[in-house]
Amino acid sequence: MNNFLQRVIIEPFERFFEKVLQFLPDFLSAILIFTLGIVLGFILRAVSLRLFRTIKLDKFSERSGVVEIIQKGGIRETVSLILSRIIGWLTIISFSILSLYSLEVPAIGQILERFLLYLPNVFVAAVILFFGYFLSNFLGRAALIASVNAGFKASGLMGKFVKLTIFLLAATMALEQLGIGKETIIIAFAIIFGGIVLALAIAFGLGGRNLAKKYLEKKLLKGEDKDDIKHL
Amino acid sequence: MDTINLRKEIQKKLADIKKTDILVGIPSYNNARTIGHVVKAVQAGFAKYFPDKKCVLVNSDGGSTDGTAETVQNAGIESYQTILINHRTTPSFKITTPYHGIPGKGSAFRTIFEIASALDAKVCAVVDSDLRSITPEWIELLIKPVVEGGFDYVAPLYHRHKYDGTITNSVIYPLTRALYGKRIRQPIGGDFGFSGKLARFYLTKDVWETDVARYGIDIWMTTTAMANKFKICQAFLGAKIHDAKDPGADLSAMLHQVVGATFELMDTYFDAWKNIEGSEPEPTYGFQYAVGLEPVNVNLDRMLDRFRLGVKELMGIWKEFLSEGIRVFLCEIDSLPRENFHIPDEVWVEIIYSFAVAAHKKIINKEHLLKSLTPLYIGKTASFVIETLESSASDVEEKIDRLCVCFEKEKRFLVTNWN
Repeated sequence: MNNFLQRVIIEPFERFFEKVLQFLPDFLSAILIFTLGIVLGFILRAVSLRLFRTIKLDKFSERSGVVEIIQKGGIRETVSLILSRIIGWLTIISFSILSLYSLEVPAIGQILERFLLYLPNVFVAAVILFFGYFLSNFLGRAALIASVNAGFKASGLMGKFVKLTIFLLAATMALEQLGIGKETIIIAFAIIFGGIVLALAIAFGLGGRNLAKKYLEKKLLKGEDKDDIKHL
Repeated sequence: MDTINLRKEIQKKLADIKKTDILVGIPSYNNARTIGHVVKAVQAGFAKYFPDKKCVLVNSDGGSTDGTAETVQNAGIESYQTILINHRTTPSFKITTPYHGIPGKGSAFRTIFEIASALDAKVCAVVDSDLRSITPEWIELLIKPVVEGGFDYVAPLYHRHKYDGTITNSVIYPLTRALYGKRIRQPIGGDFGFSGKLARFYLTKDVWETDVARYGIDIWMTTTAMANKFKICQAFLGAKIHDAKDPGADLSAMLHQVVGATFELMDTYFDAWKNIEGSEPEPTYGFQYAVGLEPVNVNLDRMLDRFRLGVKELMGIWKEFLSEGIRVFLCEIDSLPRENFHIPDEVWVEIIYSFAVAAHKKIINKEHLLKSLTPLYIGKTASFVIETLESSASDVEEKIDRLCVCFEKEKRFLVTNWN
């Protein structure tokens, strides 16, 4: 009976305990590295922010037009703050990876390896999304203002449509870069985009037939009822 | 600063002419219908008022395809007796050349300045090629203050219809008057006289790749002269009747270029305008008389529609730099009937100053910012039309003067918010 208890309960428990004892230092060092990473991330973020402000990076960015590009994308933070945040997060992420490595678990090692090989794709996708976001905001606003100035009644809709289309295009490109449902996404985008264009064409063709007729008659036959004000 | 390369035949012609006393430039682009009259008026002006001076007429063309260059070459005074003189004592010359750079009036002017500099011209003038009301006296009035009065810059003063030149009346004139303290009534008039010294000064500025190369050239010339303390006066030229400016250009593009150039100059010359308070009149030459002007059709409903559409759709952009009070006001008048529609001067001044500050602080992309001003400008113009439907020219002038005084009074708002 004793032998049975020894083999079924005590020995596995001892083996488990041994493994825990072996793993515990790695686990503790991983937690330590992770904590260190967080602390260092915050310190580096604060130090770099101070450094960037001391060297007047924001003024330089303003002069070189970087601020304008960022603001076009609707981001209100200063370049110093953005860069210091990036430094902080990079530090935290690097230390997190280090801490996972220090666990010396083969499965985690393999996952990390694959993750590291996959990282460039993530970076490129992030860049595409980043520029896509800027561009969608910029072109959406440009379309909105141009349609308002042209007297187009559905200007708001036009602005939103342009913004969404550009962002969707960027998101599709980013997902393709990540290798997520490559064909599916492209086909889905083509179907959605083509569908919208077809829907608009049908809507304008059927619903707006009379309106288009009136507009063309006004434009081609009588000319628009404009005023003669010379602005300059 | 880079100089432009003139064509070889032009260089040869300049070498033949060597020097000149007076140079008059005419920028053009597809103006065959009107430019012949302008060339004749300029040549008659040379013959009548400067018979003993060496004069050169320069046509700087933007690649016209309607025979503008041929019209310029063929136009001339057939008989000097028709303008009551026997003959010219000194010959006058005519140069037609295409200009280089960004298509626009500013690039055309740059070529004129280059030729003036190459010929060491003592006095220059520029006149628009679409003028129907130009007479030989315009040349005398634009040139003589420089020759005899020692002025460096002669700005035009016209009688215009009350609804002609609305960007000038509601934005450019009041703003430049408040900023630089000089009452130059037509700062973007388009027809100017200036000394050879000022032409050479203009050439030292590196602005030819900016909006100055397009519609911004007029305000740039006037502001540069004012801010750099050149001696300025005005000349009364009578009525200004001209073809509509570049019918293909839309209002928002014009507004963007002209107001954009004005705002950019505010950045350049902040030290020159920050401490100026009030304004003073400048010497004015020429015999002033009343003239009959062609009526102007105004489509008020269309203007109000554009304003309302702007208020509905662009408030999200404006909220980044317009005060809450102004935004609430705009929403309130948006729903008012046509007869009650009114944008007070104080509100308009705050709107323009807020846009200037937003452009300076680069709150949003400059082109978007300035083009988003269009519905507000149309609203102000509609308000102006409603208020002055029954007003005489002098009443309208008084109204514009009151707006200018308001711009001057509220200048503190601009200076305080600038930095």
